[in-house]
Amino acid sequence: MKRYAYYLSCINEAMTKEVDRSLDLWQKDLGVEFVKMHESVCCGGSNLDYVSPKHFALVNARNIAYAEKLGMDLVTSCNTCLLTIRSAKKKLDESQALRDEVNDVLRKEGLEYKGTSDVRHLLWVLVDDVGIEEIRSKVKVPLENYRIAPFYGCHILRPSTILGKDNPLEPSSLDQLIEALGGRTIAYDHKNKCCGFHTLLVAEEESLNVAAEALEEAIEFKADFIVTPCPLCHTVLDGYQSKALKNSKVKSSIPVFHLSEMVGLALGYTPRQLGIKRHIVT
Amino acid sequence: MGEHKEEMRDVTFRVLRFNPQVDNKPYFDDYTIPVEKGITVLRALNYIKEHVDPTVSFRAFCQAGICGSCGMRINGISKLGCTTQVWDELEKCKVPNVIKVEPLRNMPHIKDLIVDMDPMVEKMKKYSNWVESTMPESRMGEKEFLIAEEEFQEYDKATDCILCASCMSECSILRANKEYVAPAILLKSHRMNVDSRDGSHDRRMSELVKDHGVWDCTHCYRCQETCVKSIPIMDAIHGIREDAMVTRGAKDTSGARHAEAFMEDIAKKGKLVEATLPIRTNGIGWTLKNLLPMAFKMVMKRRTPPPPPFVKSSKGIKKFREEFSEMSGRVKGEQKDHKK
Repeated sequence: MKRYAYYLSCINEAMTKEVDRSLDLWQKDLGVEFVKMHESVCCGGSNLDYVSPKHFALVNARNIAYAEKLGMDLVTSCNTCLLTIRSAKKKLDESQALRDEVNDVLRKEGLEYKGTSDVRHLLWVLVDDVGIEEIRSKVKVPLENYRIAPFYGCHILRPSTILGKDNPLEPSSLDQLIEALGGRTIAYDHKNKCCGFHTLLVAEEESLNVAAEALEEAIEFKADFIVTPCPLCHTVLDGYQSKALKNSKVKSSIPVFHLSEMVGLALGYTPRQLGIKRHIVT
Repeated sequence: MGEHKEEMRDVTFRVLRFNPQVDNKPYFDDYTIPVEKGITVLRALNYIKEHVDPTVSFRAFCQAGICGSCGMRINGISKLGCTTQVWDELEKCKVPNVIKVEPLRNMPHIKDLIVDMDPMVEKMKKYSNWVESTMPESRMGEKEFLIAEEEFQEYDKATDCILCASCMSECSILRANKEYVAPAILLKSHRMNVDSRDGSHDRRMSELVKDHGVWDCTHCYRCQETCVKSIPIMDAIHGIREDAMVTRGAKDTSGARHAEAFMEDIAKKGKLVEATLPIRTNGIGWTLKNLLPMAFKMVMKRRTPPPPPFVKSSKGIKKFREEFSEMSGRVKGEQKDHKK
């Protein structure tokens, strides 16, 4: 059984609780274990880095150091946590001075950032470690009747200099996973575009326009549902869907599933078990 | 000679056409021409104009990736026609052997592949995208400015920008609102802000933090990913925000208050307190007006974030708080040293 240090994202703790609930249901079925790091501290959500670069480095060095202490890679289910912690890691790995300063402070709790643990997304673990063929062999309820619109989200793709798993122009990992689970992916332009989440509270109208375009295209392509590896994208595409589509020419709605829910469905768990009823659009 | 033959093939260019004086809406024309390996998309367009259809319109000048005139969307991505190899694009075609060529987005369409660059120029004026010298005009020429290597490093990459507008064409927020400042302008603004010869930092900043300014960027990184000069544009955007937090404080704009809230929450609980984030960003009136209907739905689905007292602090929060405040002390110390 391969084990990972699982980073607790604020949004999954507070709003999208179904993400981790689903993961808890099926992780052993796929021969992986996600060890919850209760020491996880908010990564700064693509804000702390310009409020205080030093605190940004400290907070995420600590997050990674706890994973290192367990001797495991840090894994997250949130795109923005992924990018944020990876960019902190890059800064730390490139600067001995920053590492020294941060470690000087972390010594208070007997921690040290060494740079030995990688920072990865749940999707990457599924595709690269568990493997597409292994997942295919474990499917109990193939998603064969579904046309599924993959929505990757920005911070698992861009900037490729920090992420680098998928080609941001032509990503494929989520498509591969959908196919392994028996579903049909649809090729639509918005699969690698933005959901608008990060400006929801600052420029709401713009954000909702961004979300509406993606939703409209998925609906026009007759997808049965959208699946996303990011709970922030989910919050916009599901929670704000009716608001985003209020003035749209498209008059229907579309369910949005989390990555961990879609895997759970194919492994035979029910929508109720997976918490899908908690979504706004059902 | 067999080898030579393999280097030639017929390729179709599906070019967007539009002449507002004649056409109701844009349409595509297909041009199939013989192309040699090593030819760029711009040279293929030149061939079409010379040998097939002289009415196809596009902008081009240097043919060497320097002037920034031939920005266009090739197979859906904004880039320069003159630095894009036809052979590389063949691998990316949605319809085999058909390369789609369209004008840049987010700018007024003039004709075929030509867009109006004036809005970009107007924004460069609005955000003072030039160095306004700290030296009075009367003393110009008396003494040269010396720029430290360290300072130059800060804007070295930004000076590579050729204003091709590819980043503007890809920008998610500019697409949603044409008033938005746009990535190229933010890049230039930061480049001028950090230049020690420049005297209009404060005026520029006061414009940048207003509506449609730096806080409206949604961090999608599409500008940076498509930049034809590989300039880390988001570093400039973050640079302006960091600058705004230091020079203008957190009370100033909703963007700054939003960012500051992360710092507060992490310092206190190690976790973000999402329930009060909208209020702290935009005030109670905005929150009630904009989020109340949604809050109802969320309560029904038990999706509301927990109120502040119920947000559980991270494990080991006591030690973490000590570390956090020790870092604050260090940062303050550094700022004092810097001022000296």
